[in-house]
Amino acid sequence: MPNIVETNNLIKVYGKEVKNEVLHGINLEIKKGEFSSIIGPSGSGKSTLLNLLGALDKPTEGNIYLNGYHINELDDDELADFRNKNLGFVFQFHHLLPEFTSVENVLIPNWINGGNTEKKNKERAMELLSLVDLEGFEHKLVTKLSGGQKQRVAVARSLMNKPDIILADEPTGNLDTETSTKIYNLLRDINKELDTTFIIVTHDRHIASKTDRVIEIIDGNIDKDYKNNPEDEFNNFEQVAPEYCFLCGQNIIK
Amino acid sequence: MWFEFMVAWRFLKSNKTQTLLILLGIIVGVTVQIFLGSLISGLQTDLINQTVGSSPHITVLPEDQTPRPLVINEDKYSRIITFAGNEGGINRWQEIENYLNDQNDVTAVSPTIDGSGFAVRGQKNLPVVIRGIDINKADGIYNITDNIVKGQTNIGGNNILIGTELANELELQPNDTIKITTSGGISDRFIVSGVFDLGSKQLNNSWIFMSIRRASTLFNFNDQISNIEIQIEDVFASDRIADQIMVRFNQINAESWQRNNQQLLTALQSQSSSSLIIQIFVIIAVTLGIASVLAVSVVQKSRQIGILKAMGTKRKRVGTIFLIQGAILGLTGSLLGALSGIGLSQLFITFTRDQSGEPLFPITVDPTFIIISIVIATSAGMLAASIPARSSAKLNPIEVIHNA
Repeated sequence: MPNIVETNNLIKVYGKEVKNEVLHGINLEIKKGEFSSIIGPSGSGKSTLLNLLGALDKPTEGNIYLNGYHINELDDDELADFRNKNLGFVFQFHHLLPEFTSVENVLIPNWINGGNTEKKNKERAMELLSLVDLEGFEHKLVTKLSGGQKQRVAVARSLMNKPDIILADEPTGNLDTETSTKIYNLLRDINKELDTTFIIVTHDRHIASKTDRVIEIIDGNIDKDYKNNPEDEFNNFEQVAPEYCFLCGQNIIK
Repeated sequence: MWFEFMVAWRFLKSNKTQTLLILLGIIVGVTVQIFLGSLISGLQTDLINQTVGSSPHITVLPEDQTPRPLVINEDKYSRIITFAGNEGGINRWQEIENYLNDQNDVTAVSPTIDGSGFAVRGQKNLPVVIRGIDINKADGIYNITDNIVKGQTNIGGNNILIGTELANELELQPNDTIKITTSGGISDRFIVSGVFDLGSKQLNNSWIFMSIRRASTLFNFNDQISNIEIQIEDVFASDRIADQIMVRFNQINAESWQRNNQQLLTALQSQSSSSLIIQIFVIIAVTLGIASVLAVSVVQKSRQIGILKAMGTKRKRVGTIFLIQGAILGLTGSLLGALSGIGLSQLFITFTRDQSGEPLFPITVDPTFIIISIVIATSAGMLAASIPARSSAKLNPIEVIHNA
């Protein structure tokens, strides 16, 4: 299986006068269709890595290849175009546009891509909303939806342009356990059905324990990278990398 | 473009109070601009019309001649010289008339013989200006035929036309006869065929029209005439055309209304410039208003902009969203402002009338001026939006999306 994500010796330095190296040479390969998580404490560099994997930022050194594109070589507009066509984003705070309805929010990536009011686009958006179980909420302003519903709209939106990679940044960060599980299951179903590659950035070990691969980032380096079997009955969040279980003993799941 | 327009529209709609306030600002600005502009241009048009409407724009006169010494009485102690200016006429006037008729920008040409004299009836003796004309040609300037209030327009033979004031003063009716004595002392009897009202008390009081041929014999002008009166298409070209005539013909003088009304024109000019300055400042105020509202809006919408960018919206398109907002505000505001400006002008005309019911102030609502106002306000809106557009384009999506 080909690598859909490939980085070699990725270094990211912030600041011009006071230099702060956040990533110290990340080498990462992710295969198409993988359902993996990146986990690490805050300040570990996982958000920086996500920005790079999301083509929102460029590395200071090293190369990054996404879906066959050499990201280093693209300019701002080409990056924007690349994100629109190849990537789907699900953010912690859903980040929907409050001025638009659910179905319009789902359609926005298509509109950005030059899509118009064509019926088939709208039909697809409606289908995606029913896939995330939001039938009947299509024409409501997103401000009228609950947190879980908003996040499901965001998931539907990330699928609109049929991206090959979906990046999820703490997708269940501000949701309760039950809703989190629903969203997680939804992402999982999409992964199985559409063979979409998922990279979930989280500090929630419970979520990480349900992915097929866990990549642990600590202090700007990949500390651990291992296969995980979510079906394993002994598998629980405390056993995911117990030696780096910096949150163990704290009640992180309400 | 459709997508940018859609987002711009939704952004404006989501901040209703803000949008309405700035719209109101633009409406007030454009209303003032259009009302003021229309009032000033109306007043000026009216003033110019009064000055040149029914009067010649250019008058071709014989060249002023240096006074020649007539009699020289010289003795041992003194020298007495009597000067006489030659009251000459224009000799080759048909040639000039033909030339003028060939010019595209000349609308009326009327060769005239002028003279002064007295109209005498019974005990009364009034000073008059006798004007020998060709009625068809003079109508192009004075529109005499349409302004005959009594009798008919006949100036053949000894028939003459007199003004209403003179007719009242001398109690003359059509077909009455009247004696006219010229300043040269020649007297003759004429028949009043019609009475005109040219809208000016002074003219109605003193002017008498007769045929140019009759005037020629009355004043002994032979083949000469006193002057040629001209009206032209564009009244403000009078200087140029007058100069052109003087270059073409010798021994004549062409006087333009512009040169004879220099002071009036200067006054109009300064009125126009002060009105223009007020309008410019109104536009600047409106532009600053739009700019400040949109600058705030960029901050308010920074999260949305970040999301749109993360999802692949290019810098330029994000900027366009704000330009469109500026254009929508400018266009809507100026359209409504134009309507309210026209409404205010109409209201003004309706409520400021003199006793006869005529509007006190003439207001001309010029469609070109309104379209220009709308175009300027819309461009000002876009110009105002260009600063926030630039700052929105610079916004980094990473900063926005990782912060709630």
